[in-house]
Amino acid sequence: MSDTLRLDEVVDFAENPEPRCPCVLLLDTSGSMQGAPIEALNQGLLSFKDELTKNPLASRRVEVSIVTFDSNINVVQDFVTADQFTPPILTAQGLTTMGAGIHKSLDLIQERKAQYRSNGVAYYRPWIFMITDGEPQGEPDEAVEQASRRLQGDETNKRVAFFSVGVENANMARLSQLAVRTPLKLNGLNFVEMFVWLSASMSAVSHSKVDEQVALPPIGWGSV
Amino acid sequence: MNSSIQKLHWRVVGASVCGTSHVKNSQLCQDAHHWEMLPDNILVAAAADGAGSASLGKVGAMVAVEAAIKNISIKEVNQEILASDNSARSLLSEAILAAKTAVEEEAIASNRPPKDLATTLIIVVATPTVAVVAQIGDGVAVAKDSMGNLTALTVPDSGEYINETSFLTSPTALDSVQVNVWRQGITNIALLTDGLQMLAINMSVGLPHKPFFFPLFDFVAKAQELKGAKEQLVKFLRSDKITQRTDDDLTLIIAALSDS
Repeated sequence: MSDTLRLDEVVDFAENPEPRCPCVLLLDTSGSMQGAPIEALNQGLLSFKDELTKNPLASRRVEVSIVTFDSNINVVQDFVTADQFTPPILTAQGLTTMGAGIHKSLDLIQERKAQYRSNGVAYYRPWIFMITDGEPQGEPDEAVEQASRRLQGDETNKRVAFFSVGVENANMARLSQLAVRTPLKLNGLNFVEMFVWLSASMSAVSHSKVDEQVALPPIGWGSV
Repeated sequence: MNSSIQKLHWRVVGASVCGTSHVKNSQLCQDAHHWEMLPDNILVAAAADGAGSASLGKVGAMVAVEAAIKNISIKEVNQEILASDNSARSLLSEAILAAKTAVEEEAIASNRPPKDLATTLIIVVATPTVAVVAQIGDGVAVAKDSMGNLTALTVPDSGEYINETSFLTSPTALDSVQVNVWRQGITNIALLTDGLQMLAINMSVGLPHKPFFFPLFDFVAKAQELKGAKEQLVKFLRSDKITQRTDDDLTLIIAALSDS
């Protein structure tokens, strides 16, 4: 056997698309977010991008999408991998149509999964990460209830993992009724630390193998 | 003719290396493998991948491969047993069960729930004419026949999500076992855990990637000195070319039937 034989020079690899780990940021841009909160949130988004791109696998696997809700619902960013993600500068105005925002984010995830499947791309369980400083406002209760039922069904059937974070005067009791997971309360406007955590969590998910749940890093930026 | 068949024997090289993400978090490599040669040119090999979410995944993987191999090696397995599909399947099913029991006993001994020792498991029993394989979870077993065709003997088992799979310790584990018997003139066998899956298998069609396996099979068939060959395999698994593409733990067992 030749000493100079190097297996890495003779073995070639299959070309499979990188598995994707989709994450929708569902962000409250209603009027009450004006000023310091929205600025801190924008700052947080920059950190999110920075942190994700520090991890070469996460930057190719984690796909970010941003949906904002105020009086309108806007898909500010369609799914892109972290390395292609340019954080937007968000502004705040109007009401808090959270129910419609939840619907939109669930729709996006459903569509994205269909695209993955038709392109033979493997994927991880999608995350929706909702941030709000209030509660649903500006849409009928019925609409919010319906969004909540859909969300709870999707969470129970493992179609999505939905996390909600309350900022400042957010109605935590209302948030805990909407979703399955207990909402977390952000300490002050500590968005940067929260997004560093989110990035670490997505990175953990994007190379995990799970029995039931990925062990997430401890939360230093908020409380239950 | 007969005398050349007499001289046939398996050469086996196997290695498990720690993924770079685990090195970074100073975690143990959660993979384990083991193999043994039985009389009559029967090779028994096993590979396991402990779940990253399980605190004792490494222990689960080690216990599983040892118990599976032991269960088969203490039986007097011969070509006759393997000639019947039913008895060949039972042999492997019993080995899976023995591995599951061993992991569960280890959990009791360590005072932990079985899911803390969650692991996948692939077992192969191979002769020059038949391969019998059992698998729980992801990873894959591949064979090359004497015509030069590659076949995936198992299918990596994952749910909708790529990081969800079945484990030996799952309550429904025994429902998700794949047991297959493949009768061909066999020249090579490979077992690998999921860390290598994306590099070794064309996932959309489920076919083994020839440029991955052929050089490795060739390498083992020509290996004169197995200790050196193992070092080369470890070096390969740790090479930049691989770690740029995967940060997971990696296990690869390669066997070549050789007549020299």
